[in-house]
This record gives sequence, C-alpha cells and structure tokens, in this order.
Amino acid sequence: MNQVRVEKHNITAAATRSQHWHYTPPHSFWDEAVRPSGMPRRHWRQLAVALGRMGEDELTRRWHAGQHLIQAHGITYNVYGDAQGMERPWSLDPIPLVIDHAEWASLESALMQRATLLNHILTDLYGEQKLIAQRQFPAALLFANPHFLRPCHRIHPPNGVFLHSYAADLARSPDGRWWVISDRTQAPSGVGYALENRLVSARTLPSAFDQCHVRPLNRFLEQSRDAMLGMAPNARNNPRVVLLTPGPNNETYFEQSFLARHWGFPLVEGADLTVRDNRVFLKTLSGLEPVDLVLRRMDDAFCDPLELRGDSLLGIPGFTQAVRQGNVAVANALGSGLLETSTHMAFLPGLCRQILGEELRLPSVATWWCGDDGPRGYVLENLESLVIKPAFPQPGRNPEFPSYMNAAARQDLIRRIEADPEQFVAQEQIPLSTAPVRTDEGLHPRHIVMRMFAAWDGKSYSVMPGGLTRVSTEGSSPVVSMQMGGGSKDTWVLGQAGEEAPAAVLTRQDAAAPARIELPSRVADHLFWLGRYSERVESGVRMVRALLPGLSAEEDYGQAATLESAIQLLFGLGYLEEDISSLSLAQQRWQVGQLLSAMVYDPSRSSGIGRNLQNMRRVAWPLKERLSLDTWRVLQQLDREFSATPSVRGELRVMAQMSLLDRTVVVLSAFSGLLSENTTRGHGWRFIQIGRRMERARQTSDFLLAALVQGPFDVEPAINMLLHIADSSITYRARYFTEFRTEYVLEILLVDEGNPRSIGFQLASLIEYLRGLPGYDQSQNRRSNDPLDCEEPLPLRLAENMLTTLRAASMDGLAQRDADGDLAVLETYLRKLQGHLYDLSELLTAHHFNHLTLTRLTPAH
Amino acid sequence: MLYQATHKTTYSYEQPVAHCLSEARLTPRSLPSQRLLTTRLEVHPEPAVVELRQDYFGNQVSAFSVFRPHEKLIATATSIVEVTQRAAEILPDVSWEQAQHFLKTHTDDGAMTAYEFVFDSPFVAASEALAAYARPTFTPGRPLAEAVQELSHRINKEFQYRPKSTSIEVALAEVLHRRQGVCQDFAHVMIGALRSFHLAARYVSGYLRSGSDVTGAEASHAWVSAFIPSYGWLDLDPTNDVIPSDGHITLAWGRDYGDVTPVKGIALGGGVQKVDVEVNVRPVIAE
Repeated sequence: MNQVRVEKHNITAAATRSQHWHYTPPHSFWDEAVRPSGMPRRHWRQLAVALGRMGEDELTRRWHAGQHLIQAHGITYNVYGDAQGMERPWSLDPIPLVIDHAEWASLESALMQRATLLNHILTDLYGEQKLIAQRQFPAALLFANPHFLRPCHRIHPPNGVFLHSYAADLARSPDGRWWVISDRTQAPSGVGYALENRLVSARTLPSAFDQCHVRPLNRFLEQSRDAMLGMAPNARNNPRVVLLTPGPNNETYFEQSFLARHWGFPLVEGADLTVRDNRVFLKTLSGLEPVDLVLRRMDDAFCDPLELRGDSLLGIPGFTQAVRQGNVAVANALGSGLLETSTHMAFLPGLCRQILGEELRLPSVATWWCGDDGPRGYVLENLESLVIKPAFPQPGRNPEFPSYMNAAARQDLIRRIEADPEQFVAQEQIPLSTAPVRTDEGLHPRHIVMRMFAAWDGKSYSVMPGGLTRVSTEGSSPVVSMQMGGGSKDTWVLGQAGEEAPAAVLTRQDAAAPARIELPSRVADHLFWLGRYSERVESGVRMVRALLPGLSAEEDYGQAATLESAIQLLFGLGYLEEDISSLSLAQQRWQVGQLLSAMVYDPSRSSGIGRNLQNMRRVAWPLKERLSLDTWRVLQQLDREFSATPSVRGELRVMAQMSLLDRTVVVLSAFSGLLSENTTRGHGWRFIQIGRRMERARQTSDFLLAALVQGPFDVEPAINMLLHIADSSITYRARYFTEFRTEYVLEILLVDEGNPRSIGFQLASLIEYLRGLPGYDQSQNRRSNDPLDCEEPLPLRLAENMLTTLRAASMDGLAQRDADGDLAVLETYLRKLQGHLYDLSELLTAHHFNHLTLTRLTPAH
Repeated sequence: MLYQATHKTTYSYEQPVAHCLSEARLTPRSLPSQRLLTTRLEVHPEPAVVELRQDYFGNQVSAFSVFRPHEKLIATATSIVEVTQRAAEILPDVSWEQAQHFLKTHTDDGAMTAYEFVFDSPFVAASEALAAYARPTFTPGRPLAEAVQELSHRINKEFQYRPKSTSIEVALAEVLHRRQGVCQDFAHVMIGALRSFHLAARYVSGYLRSGSDVTGAEASHAWVSAFIPSYGWLDLDPTNDVIPSDGHITLAWGRDYGDVTPVKGIALGGGVQKVDVEVNVRPVIAE
C-alpha cells in the first residue's frame, strides 16, 4: 500500500473543452496526458484522437464490455476485513497510461540498475556485512529491522540471486520527474493483474492498441519462468516447481492462481509440503514427491514456523534448513523482505556509488532516517511538509501526516520520535501526477502510481515493458491503494514505429521444462467435497422443486407430490420437527411453505440449499486454478441466482421459487456436463465423481427411508414423489405403467445399474473410479505371485462388498412387510448401507487426505 | 568445578504425533571460564535425522526429526562441564552515557557484536515504563558497571520470584506491572531496562548448581549479560543477585528467550500436550 500525500487541492475537471476530448486537469500537478496548454502530449495523441472520435457513450459502452470480460475471467481482488470476505471484482479504467518509448528506455535501465543494487545489498547484509563495517549502511538499520531474519544469515542462494523478482512503485512529481516511492523485494504482486489488464484493454480499444505499437508483455513472463527453472538445485532438467500461497484469503489469491495456471506450476499451501531429511516434498495422491523450487507468495518470516516465526503455523517446518543445505531453491530468497522498508532509500545514492561505481539513475523519494542526528534535526524542523512512517513497517503502524495534526498530536509525535529515533523515517510528500479516468460524468483527472516489474533472466535483470498503474479513488485522495478501493489502468509502453513485435513462440532449447506433478492430497480432498456439496445442492433443489406443487390448493397437479406426502418426507428427513398432519390444511401449507422457502434462501439453515452452496463455494475457491473458466462461471451463476431473496410474496413467491429451481437444475446440469464432457479423466476428476456418487447414494437412501419406510401405507403418492425427485418417472412408467408397488420402485432406484440415479449405479461407478486411483490397480499391487500378497485397498474392498450385497438382494424380500405392516427388512438394509457409506468416506479420508494439523511444542526450559 | 548436568524434557501427547521436527540448544558453550568435556543428546523415539550446527549467535543447535508415530517424545541431554571461578576483576568506571556513545560509534568486531543487543527483539522491547523503572539507578555520569549491579540488586529485591503453574508466556509489561515472575522474566526486565537506555544486554540460558541457597535450579536457569566498554560482557543474575561465577553453566545466549529456547519444535498431530522438564546438576569428583 502506498500512501503518498498530496497538497490539499481538489482536482476536478473544469468545464473547458480541449480540441479532441473533454478533459482538463488542474495545473498544480503533472498530467500524464495533456500539456498545461491543454493539448495532448505527443505520445498520447493517437489515443486522444481515438477517444475523441469514439465519444463518451461509446467509451462507456466499451468500458461495460471490459467489465463484463473481467467478470467472465473471474478477475478479483480480496479485500481484508470485507464482510463479504472475498473477491471484489478487479477495477480497471478503460483508458491506459501511455508512456513514451524514450522515457521508458531510461526508466527501464534505471530499474535494472536498482534491482542489481538491491541484490548486492542483500548479498552483503546476509553475508560478509562489509557495508556495515565500512559504515555504508547503518548497523542500526540492520539490527533494528525485524525483517532481518537471523537464521538466514550466511545462506547463499543459487547464483547469488536473492531477488528473483522485484517491483518498484513510481510517482511523478509536478516537474515531470519520476521517483521511486517503494521497493517490493519480498514477493511482489501485480504481474498477473497487469497481464489481465492488457487482455482487457487490448480488446476494449483494439484499433488504438494496434496503431500505438504497444509493446507486448508475454515474453517477460516466459523469460522469468525459464530463468526460475534454471535455479533448481543440481541443474535438474525437469525441476519440480510449486507456487506457495498463503491461502485463498490472501488479497492477491486470484493472481497467484492465475500465474500458477499460466506457468503450469501447482499452487500449494504450507500444509501441502513437508520436509524429510532436509528435502521438501509435496504430499500427493501417489505419495511424497520431491520439490526442487518453491516460488513463494508467502512472506518469508511465515515460511518456516520452526526457525523463522514463532507465532505462526502457516509455513513448512524445517524449510529453512532444507534451503540452507541447498536441497531446494526459493524465490525470492528467504530474508529478502529486509529491503521493503523505506528507510534504506536514504542511503541508496551512496551505496550505488560504492557498490556499482555509478550514480543512481532513478531517485527515491527524499527520505530521512531519524536514527541519524542530522536528518532527525531536519525532520523535526520540517514536520509539516513530510510524511512520517515507521522505519520498519509492521501491521498496525501507519504513516502519519503532521500537516493534518493539531498541536498536541504533533507534540506527541515529536516526543515519540525523540524517544525512539531509529523507529522513524520521514519522506517528502510528492504531489502525484494525474491521468484521465472515465467516470459517469466524463473524463476526470485522478492521481496515479505506476508499478514496474523486473525479473532475473539468468544473466541480469529484465524489465517488463508495461506495468500496473493504480489510480486514486477520489480526485483529492492522497492515497493510492487497491486495498482502499482504488482502480487500475493498463500501461502502454509505445514501441518505435516499424519495430517488429518479437516472435510469439520462443525457442527454448536451453530452458528446462518443469516436471509434471501429481495431484496434491489437499486438492483431491477439496475436489471430493466439491463433488459431495454439488450433489447435495442438486438433491436439495430437486426435492424442493418436487414438493412445491404440493402447496397449491389445486388437487390435480399432475405427478407432483401431495401436501401429505411432502409432510411425510420432510418429517422423515428431519426437516420438520414434528408431524404436522393433524393441523389445519392452511396451517400445514403455511408451515411447509416457510420451510421450503428457508431451504432455498436461508444460508444459515443447516443442510439447506443456500448453506450447501456456500460450502460448495468454500471448497471451490482454493481450486480456482484447476477449474476451467466455464466451470467457474457456472459456480458464479449459482451464486448470483441465490444471492437475492425475491420480494414477491404468496403464490407469486412460489412461482418465483419454482422458476429459480428450474433454472438451477439447468445450471447444475451444465456443471455435470462440463465435468463429463470437458474434463480430462485424471485423478482430480475421479475425486469429484467419487464425491458425487457417494453423496447421491446417500441422498437416495435417505429419500427411500423417509418416503417408504417411515412413510404411510398408501405407497402411491410416496412413490410418485420419489420418482419425481429422482427424475425417474418416465423410466418407471415405461416399465410399470401406473402400477405403484414398492418392489418396482426399489428395482428402479436401488438395483438398476442402468439408471444413473439408482444406488446400484452409484456403487458400480464408485468402484470404477476407485480402481483408477493410484495404488488401486491390482496388477500393480501384486509384488509376487503369492495370491495373499495382493491386498486391495480398504475403500475398494468395502465398495465391492456393498455392490455384491446389493446384487444378491431380492426385491420381493426387501419389499416385504412384517406383521405390523412395516418395511423392516428394507429399513435394516438401508441403514446398513448408510453406515457403510459413512465408513467409506472415513476410509477415503484416512487413506488419501491427511487431516492432521501442526502443533507447536510448548517451548521447554 | 566439574559438573554433570542432565536435562530431560518429556512431551506427552493426547493424540499420536505423525512426525516432529525439533531444535535443542542444550550443548554448553565453550568459554574462557568454561570447558565442555563431554555432551550427549538422546532422543526417544530415535530420530531419523540429527544435525548439529551453529546458530547466528554461535550457539550449538541440535536439530532432530522424528518420523515415526509417537505419543511421547523424550530428549535427554547430558554434559560434563568444567567451570572455573572467575577472578574478581576491577571493573572499569566507564559511565553509562559513555557506553551509549561507544556502542553507537565503534565499528570494530566486538563493539558491533554488542551493538546488535541494543535493539528491540521479539520478546524484549524498550519502553517508557522500563526506562522509568531503571531511571533512579541511571544517575548522570554513574559508572555502567555499578549501575547494572544495582539494577540487578533492585530487581532481586523489588520483584517476587513466583514459579508459574502454567508455561504460558507473560508479556514483559505485565511482569513489570505485577512485579513478579521467574528467572526468565527477571532477565527480560533487566535487558529491557538496559535497552531502554540504549545499552547492550543479552539473555543467557544455562544451569545453576543446586543448593538451598539458590533459586531456579530445578529447571534450566536464565540470567543477563551486559556489555561494558573496555571490559566486555559482564554476567549478572538478578534472580539470585549475584555475579555468576563457578556455580553457573552457560548453555547459549541471544537477544531474548526466543533465541535460545532449550527445546522447541513443531509436530504434526498431537492435540493437547503436556511437557515435563527435569534438570539435575551435580558436582563430579575428579578422579
């Protein structure tokens, strides 16, 4: 987050017109697009002409199309502490920031220099510490810095590269000069968002994009990926690479999943990795797979709860030692967060001369560290014009703006600075430049900050020819921060006319290819539950849809459930706490109506549709990079459908529910369709299917128990309802016409392995999917010819037993009623089946997913 | 004096632990006044990996990993150490203000190493409250050696030694406010007070010869070392109000307790745990 104060100007557009477009920024700031005369700058002309011709309405139309694209791509940004908790759609202005070719060239070389310099500084501070001994870098700055990770001292990263990727935020002052306002050395984010921005902006303004010869971004990503692969220890040809995420709640989780997918590396959490014998392994379905390279998006201190941070269990215990031994590479190196403080900026010009023997090409914003007596004096005398920051950023310690303080607060600040000067740094407030932003009231100027990215390319640093430009929320806002609701812009770096775009396909003979990695166990676990919850949602939808017509006073409603059978089913399933059939019809209708409505709309109702949708979404979110965009869209559509309670009441409300449920069944079918038609038959797919099959078997057995066993003696309406829920009415009628018999419905819903809704079908499919899992193939299990040495995994054995028992059962026997007229045999059978399904789920969990959590041993004296 | 120190740490878990990675800092340091004769660390169940390395502060670390399921983890360190009586030396009369200045301006190895201990660490940060507590002792121009001894004495008299029933860490501010704690807290208060005057102090973990006249020998012990220019590090034990000599065995030092925790670790599984520590230090009669 960059917080840069600007003067208290209100920058609103004046009503004057420029020649091409209606945009007039105030004169007190540098404007990126127009000169003080109001004429567009030379490098903005093409875009300005294009926008002028287009007109505001057309721009707005295209902006909407862009927003749609953002939604369709599921581009989001998580905002901490948001009540919604999650995904806010990414905010992108349609007008890019345009940077001239020559200006970019100088920024580019300056950024390469800066990355090189920072890497040298890290190398020294984590090694010889000559800079400290020679007083080039104040010792206090190192020793007081909580981001100096002592256990990482004297760990040498491969090829001496600490900074694999680096980003800097740049601001432009009113005189047109660029300044670095912050360095990102830990795990810089934004490249993925910049790429997505490009995708959208190139489609929003296609002809302007072509005319401007905008430099492409892809190559940068490919290059840095290849360089990363080259880092793997022992120069492995097919390194196993993972992208380590702090988890789905992280603010830039979208970008992490985007990059994982783009690069083809699995996205893993700390719990997916384990250290054995100082080597890092990924827990997969087929066992532990060694990992050669960890790209981390986790802050370094959190990477190892054993050695690095004593109050977290997020990372991988033993990771530091594995890195120390050189058995695994990590980018960026552990400890590189050291230079994310702004304090070091004060010393960069001298360090640059000392280390590189050249002048620093890109100045940092003027910075004074209060730990030095001279600068402290200046700071205390010039408080009003400065922003005071903690020398070492820590959560909860924010920048302070003395110009906004009353006398008492300022005195308090002075006292705090004097008591602990090393802890404070002061920076000049740069009045940020402005750029045009589309609003509903036309083009308005907004402040911008531009993030540039550099990555190690194997020999030196390359700079991405573009960037992530962020925009302040309000015209007058001094703060540019995505966390606080600002927007973003694509950044167009103009190529020279006639300059050919580099070939899209790179020759990569030298580059290593990453190894294919098995499905991580945690992912399999999530997929399994995605299958289960999606089936729960579907079964809930089908049930409510079958029961709703029973609420109608009309008796003759085709095959629909009667109110009586609906009450029996809901009571049998435990949704109704008591049998309400003795109440008046009107009361019955009212109670059932309330219940069904709650099941649809109330997410707090356990086992309601809303709750299961929430669960489905919860398990789907960490799978983002593994689900296709279409699948993701289906999930989003489900969310949208159920996000609002309809305002209509009474009969209309029932109709609204009916049509919502009808739509939902179609959307859910799209989900199953995508699974069966568009998904490779890998282990991931198998786990979703296993989850679905187990859940459907469970739901069908629930319905059979509730409707038949606990139901009334008159089976006709119950059977009718069951067939309706299970979508099997047509099959039934084709076979048995209108004769309603328990054994017939059991034939269809229990044993008929040809009916995709029967329990028999679920069990047969389960066995097929289980056999496809690693370790389940019998021929592979056989280590010798000894038949006793051939052990089938327990889940498979159990599933096979269940199917054998089912096949052996006689329907007449199961449908037999005892002296009291109860279906006791069927009840016993179904309860046993449910017990086995439960065991099967437990066995699968124990066999494939490790649910143990880390515990910190109480430190012992 | 020749001692045999036995330090046994037992973790008992409610549920089985699948695997566990640990670090022990239980090997006594070699010092001019301390000679390590033998040392041994036994772990049950037998660990798959044991590695020795030196940490940032030069302490010996034994890292071990157990990869078989277990419900109990026992680590027993046994060392034989010879500690010689430190001759009563004449301490320099460098004032605490001079020491402050020295630390800030000298960049030779010793001074630089000491300077690191002026700054806040995770468990011990300078504060106005700590400075206020120490202020009566730090009168202008007073020799640092004299001031630190008085500070140690005051903590010993003004704080109550109260062994904790639980092992939950108590924040430094709380210790200062309630004026009670164990040796670890006494050491933290003293270090924090010195840091609040921009002076260098480190945390020392070790053992204490048992006896009816000393406090804190039943577990591992902790005290303070303060840096005095033109002398070096002076050990002070505020829990017993003594300058450690041949009754104190030094295991490790760091910025605070967190840097030198004798045994720590991360387990997979385990649930609720119980930890027991037994320390036994007995003189060995040389043959």
